[in-house]
Amino acid sequence: MDTAVYLNRVKMEREHFLLGPLQLEIPRGYISAIVGPNGSGKSSTFQLMLRIYNPDSGQIELFGEQLTNEEIEVALKQRIGYLPEEANDMESWMTGSEKADFIKFWYPTWNVNRYSDLIRIFEVDPKLKLGKMSKGMRRKFDLAVVLAHNPELLLLDEPSSGLDPISWKRMIEILQKYMEEENRTILMATHIIDEVKRLADYIIFMAGGRILGFYEKDELMGNWHAFFVREQGDVGKHRLREVPGFERLEDMGGGFIRIISSNAGLAEKWFQEEGISVSGQNSLELDDILEVLIETKASF
Amino acid sequence: MWIPIQLNETSAEPLYHQITVQLRALIVSGQLVEGTLLPSIRELAQQLKCSIITIRRVYQDLEAEGLLRTRQGMGTYVAEVEESDRDKYRLASVIPAFEAAVDAALRVQCTTAEMESILRQAIAKRIEMQSEGGGEK
Repeated sequence: MDTAVYLNRVKMEREHFLLGPLQLEIPRGYISAIVGPNGSGKSSTFQLMLRIYNPDSGQIELFGEQLTNEEIEVALKQRIGYLPEEANDMESWMTGSEKADFIKFWYPTWNVNRYSDLIRIFEVDPKLKLGKMSKGMRRKFDLAVVLAHNPELLLLDEPSSGLDPISWKRMIEILQKYMEEENRTILMATHIIDEVKRLADYIIFMAGGRILGFYEKDELMGNWHAFFVREQGDVGKHRLREVPGFERLEDMGGGFIRIISSNAGLAEKWFQEEGISVSGQNSLELDDILEVLIETKASF
Repeated sequence: MWIPIQLNETSAEPLYHQITVQLRALIVSGQLVEGTLLPSIRELAQQLKCSIITIRRVYQDLEAEGLLRTRQGMGTYVAEVEESDRDKYRLASVIPAFEAAVDAALRVQCTTAEMESILRQAIAKRIEMQSEGGGEK
């Protein structure tokens, strides 16, 4: 698989935080989403990729190249659009148009038409000073700016924070359209489950500075199911723990037990073969899966 | 282009399998006629809220079966379906639907007789509805 970003045993230690060792390959041509609770190291991972921070050890490659000198760094970064989690306060004094003019200088592929299209679709007034824009408008403006030079790789850190539902829909549409061209890659960090559902092909779970797993989204969602079974006779909790892919079991009241399996296909068969009647079954939401993974995989 | 595919999220049947079965049914039943240009992989993935990996697999499988054809840079088209294939596939999408209904009945401990009676009633009701609907036109 063609790789857009490659992290090899990347580690960064700070006084109160240890990130890594991170081992990660972001596939080119797909949308990957990093999902994880606050403080799990998502933003720091982005900053490492762009050498805003330097790792203490390990290697980082963008499009198969390491940022070994300034020339390579500039050339590689021109192919990337990075939207940080927080808007830059130091830019508050300038207007949108002034910032666009400044950014344009650094990106030879800047497309004026694309920029004005995005500004129009997002209904942003670029004559306003950045500090005077509402949080939502500022986010939309910054999104337009990172997309205007048609980057091959988008690194989006919580892209929808501050957006109202209509603007959020616009953003989803714009990102989907962006991906229609070949070899475009998005890596995004988000807590918004619906965003992951609509956009992502791959999911990376992160917690406590570590990567808990890298999954193909549909496979993950298809494999994790909850089964509801009535506790009776020889159908006890002990036996139910033997279900294939067993992850978790909980009492639901009324004699019902909820069993979570990460291998739904085999679990379904197992219930049939064991003659245990299943009263209900549903796929899990991503946040439920994350919760179980944090419990079972992350030891702090 | 919108493709009438309905996914069952509570089933453990993998998404790619559900989509393959339904898309195949649409093609062999003639609802998608020969030469129809299907949505791009990314577009269908958006419509069904699944990943492009899944859709790519579906298109590849149906292409291998000879039901779809991909032309480089042009997109994916519905291929010609042989009459004999049409018959073979016609029931393929119906059988799993009946099986799912049986599963639902077994969950509430239905007897065989009960299931048969429900099925007969359901058929009778639909046929009545259809003939009524036809009468109004």
